[in-house]
Amino acid sequence: MNDTVFVLSAASALVAGTPILLAALGEIIAERSGVMNLGVEGMMLFGAVAAFWAGVHTHSLTLALLVGGLAGTAMSMIHALLAVTLKVNQTVSGLSLVIVGSGLSAFLGNSGDTPLLQAQNGVDVERLLPRGLADLPLIGPILFGHDVVVYLTWVAVAVAAYALYRTPAGLSLRAVGEDPAAADAAGLHVVRIRYLATAIGGFGAGVGGAYLVLAVLGTWQTGMTAGAGWIAVALVILAGWRPWLALVGAYVFGALRGLGFTLQIAQVDVPSDFLTMIPFIAAYAVVILVSASPARARRVAAPAALGEPYSREER
Amino acid sequence: MIAGLVVSPRARPAMAVRFGVPLASLIVALAVGALVLLAVGSDPVEAYRTMYDASLSGSAPIERTLTYATPLILTGLAAAVAFRMRTYNIGAEGQLFAGAIAGSWVALILPADLPSPLMLVLMLGGGLVAGALWAALAAVPKAFLGTDEIITTLMLNFVALALMNYLIFGSLSFWRDPRRPVPQGKKIPDAAELPLMSGRLHAGFAIAVVAAVQLWWLLRSTTFGFRLRTIGDSHRAARYAGIGVPVATLIVMSISGGLAGLAGAIEISGVTKSLEPRALAIELGYTGIVIAAVARLNPLGVVPVAVLLAAISTSGSSLQTVGVQVEVVVLLQGLIFLAVTAGEFFVTNRISRRPTATRPAPPSAPAPASVADVDEPSAGLEPMTASPTARTAP
Repeated sequence: MNDTVFVLSAASALVAGTPILLAALGEIIAERSGVMNLGVEGMMLFGAVAAFWAGVHTHSLTLALLVGGLAGTAMSMIHALLAVTLKVNQTVSGLSLVIVGSGLSAFLGNSGDTPLLQAQNGVDVERLLPRGLADLPLIGPILFGHDVVVYLTWVAVAVAAYALYRTPAGLSLRAVGEDPAAADAAGLHVVRIRYLATAIGGFGAGVGGAYLVLAVLGTWQTGMTAGAGWIAVALVILAGWRPWLALVGAYVFGALRGLGFTLQIAQVDVPSDFLTMIPFIAAYAVVILVSASPARARRVAAPAALGEPYSREER
Repeated sequence: MIAGLVVSPRARPAMAVRFGVPLASLIVALAVGALVLLAVGSDPVEAYRTMYDASLSGSAPIERTLTYATPLILTGLAAAVAFRMRTYNIGAEGQLFAGAIAGSWVALILPADLPSPLMLVLMLGGGLVAGALWAALAAVPKAFLGTDEIITTLMLNFVALALMNYLIFGSLSFWRDPRRPVPQGKKIPDAAELPLMSGRLHAGFAIAVVAAVQLWWLLRSTTFGFRLRTIGDSHRAARYAGIGVPVATLIVMSISGGLAGLAGAIEISGVTKSLEPRALAIELGYTGIVIAAVARLNPLGVVPVAVLLAAISTSGSSLQTVGVQVEVVVLLQGLIFLAVTAGEFFVTNRISRRPTATRPAPPSAPAPASVADVDEPSAGLEPMTASPTARTAP
């Protein structure tokens, strides 16, 4: 019963969806503060290469994930500097992060005496819970057979959802994203909050990239995110900037990404190139569907000041 | 900001500023690139000299560079025209693939003994139309539903890439050469090959330069160009002025996608001679975005910038000989993009000494904290600089 196509694909969907979820969760925090960072793909790649390097040298999953997250944060600070402080166009700034991240990760991954491209994964990602739980029928393998990161991601989603809606800090964050002028007048430090939110966003993307390379793929390949960061950006919109919906969406995309695997065990023959397309076509279609939904529902969802730099008028 | 300095918007940046700042940004980017090379134990001077020798000294390297620059000029124009209206078409990559697929299809399906000029017009026209249609998949939802075009154009890139791979690697399609065991595209007839101008440089380069001049004229001297720039400045102002934003979106996305599609067909006709996914999927579309940014969305500026980035790209492989990985090329492109983006701040803002008499310098504060001192950048002067109109919420 536990090795049916459904159970195996559902279990793999959770793993495949986790990097997207981590990145999307970070981006939700950043965008809730009004900073749109399109550089997720680049931050994921840089986080991944840094984490893989750390894993090879330390053999510690914790350290590798941390290094990956901090690498993502470091890149996001470039965006914060450009978009929040220098107030250049956020779209263009985010795009430049994508190119920097893919170039830097490709370069670092193939440099040195023993390039990461040929290196073995330095860390073992083991399942967290005892075997007995994972042997439970149906829900065992789907819910209990995973590594620690999957569960920490659930915690992160819960914390983010709670913090956004139930804490003063979350209220401040959302206020800055909705109406920075009013937030400023109320004594909030708009710039500091936006930097912090962007940093959290970068951390999420970096950890997402780290998990992707360490646990999902297992080896470093140039450009290995293959659009996962962009799926995460789309997911933020699809989820209406809400963490729990992002979790659902990420696992759906995880399932779509793993569809090839599913169909293979179900012995359905579909060309692999079409399987590659499916998550992207799905994201394309859903973004259009969401934009076709009634205008009122949309206005509620998006932070009103998203993408707008804030400058205080001359005092 | 540093105490004693005051930032104020420039009303209209002077010529020297508009050209000087991107140039300075370029130098900063190359300097940072040199630091990275030093960090991984390479000699940056030797690396840059090798790159120069491999791409810009002598006629054969220059011809190779200009050949490589041809599709980059077109994708750079594709990004420039769309970004001018703040329509962020980042789908030139996919639109180029669509143009390549359609262009090679036209060349293969037509009788091989067709006169070459006719064949070329049909083939390149087919690529152009296909690129515009692929862009329409994002333009139509954008125009009528306000769908975020950044996401849709990007998703379509991955779809187009997978489609092209399927046609050659995944199936025995019409495009694939059935006589070869290794997956490879069918060669197009001789009549569908662009004539050579000098050495290995094909006539596609001339087409790209003409396109740049035409687009420059279109944006600068026609009512349409004026409308487009007005929309780029403010959607609301454009609507009050009676300019139809949806129609303009469709037209601009068609031009943008058409240029990228043309680039794909020209690559088939002038370089690869068959549908070769590996030779086409080299991020020509994404590099076009960098080029448009460095050229500050000016079509005439796109040409030299494309040649420069082509020089960096073509010389990448020569760096292996001095022990530098070819991946440094994308890194340099990214650094240039980043530096130029940051440089926009200095194009739109003047930094001057604060007059001590009128106001005392504020107490020194950490950099992010004192940003409230920065004035609003002169919104709407150039679409690259001003804040984007809030992304249409889905």
